[in-house]
Amino acid sequence: MCLAIPMRIEAVDGFNARCAAKGVERDVSLFLLQDEGVAVGDYVMVHVGYAIQRVARADAEASWALFDEILATEPPPDGGGG
Amino acid sequence: MRRVTAGATWLARIRALDLPERLRIMNVCGGHERSIAQAGLRTVLPEEIELIPGPGCPVCVCPEEAIYHAIHLSLDEGVILVAFGDMLRVPVNVAKGEVRSLEEARGLGGDVRPIASPTEARVIAAAEPERTVVFFAAGFETTTAPVAALVAEGLPKNLLLLTACRRTWPAVALLLESGEAGFDGLVAPGHVATVMGPEEWSFVAERFCIPVAVAGFTPESLLAAFASVVRQHLDGHPHLTNCYPEVVRPGGNRAAQQMLAATFDVVDAPWRGIGTLPASGYRLKGRYADHDAALRFPAATEQARARAGAMPAGCGCAEVVLGRLTPTACALYGHPCTPRAPVGPCMVSDEGACRIWWSSGKRG
Ligand code: SF4
Repeated sequence: MCLAIPMRIEAVDGFNARCAAKGVERDVSLFLLQDEGVAVGDYVMVHVGYAIQRVARADAEASWALFDEILATEPPPDGGGG
Repeated sequence: MRRVTAGATWLARIRALDLPERLRIMNVCGGHERSIAQAGLRTVLPEEIELIPGPGCPVCVCPEEAIYHAIHLSLDEGVILVAFGDMLRVPVNVAKGEVRSLEEARGLGGDVRPIASPTEARVIAAAEPERTVVFFAAGFETTTAPVAALVAEGLPKNLLLLTACRRTWPAVALLLESGEAGFDGLVAPGHVATVMGPEEWSFVAERFCIPVAVAGFTPESLLAAFASVVRQHLDGHPHLTNCYPEVVRPGGNRAAQQMLAATFDVVDAPWRGIGTLPASGYRLKGRYADHDAALRFPAATEQARARAGAMPAGCGCAEVVLGRLTPTACALYGHPCTPRAPVGPCMVSDEGACRIWWSSGKRG
């Protein structure tokens, strides 16, 4: 739940945006960035469905690489053996 | 590749420093602990540096009475209870045979639904206009700001909030004021600082003379923060540094802060197993009384209050949250406590240190 991920804005409709990261698309609220004038093509840090800050593209891509590693090592929910 | 190189460079710089015998660096964010565990930073850092997971899990400190309240609302009041998925399996202490989690309540017919975003609460409320929807929200500032945004956008009439939202820094202040902080340097949470501004953390250096650096979630950002903390310690000049400038801006996200201030009052609040911390909680403002589940269902609230706020018997979560016990030092870690059969909240939540250590392969 705490994990925030950077996403690219693909489409904007009012405060609602369609965002993508690594082929996954999500609806994201831009309500917390309403003073920032973010637009299609910008990258934003997304936490629980809300964009909380802008990010530069290079930084977004670096975080995706880390995210890949986490997903690769993470056991499925309820997993972890025992 | 650029990133890997950066990480290696920071590591080399840390190794080149004239390290003290022991330097304990605490983090206060489940995301940090997860990155540290996944990247294996504990094994690559010099052994003088000890990384301690601290109060970084809002679900873990969510008061038992709030969970009990949510269970009761879902079973006895016919509401649709929505909550972040983590919350569903957190156990409360009840007599044998009583319902001990929201998941069990759901098994008994309670309409309990996991959500991943506050916006889903609005969608469910719109789809079920005849029913009351209660959004049970636990979280630190980064999660509370989206809840404030949900309120600022206008709540549907049938959507109520039951909140256990907490501020992060008061828990750190508590540790520092206790006289036995248990750490010599602090890595401050990157996404809390994104919202609230990094300045919130300067008190650690200014009032307590403890090195402090804001970090992001990549290994190199964390290593940069560790290097900064060590440097500050060696120089004897603790001061806040920002090792996550790509996302953490001076002043933070002001629109988010304004929404928080317009939606919530800052109040003294209970932390499960720890006690009441001054100015550590968010309470919905009086003008939203119609949407405050605690006020709308006072009978349930009275019953919930009667619950003591302890951790399950034998569970060391309170000590784990405060960084005074490592997960593996808990006698129940792995036997019988595992993510499959969690005894305490730290083994349930994705942000709980026990869960993170277990998931990264640590076995006692
Ligand atoms: S191992 Fe289980 S019982 Fe022990 S502190 Fe962690 S969650 Fe609690």
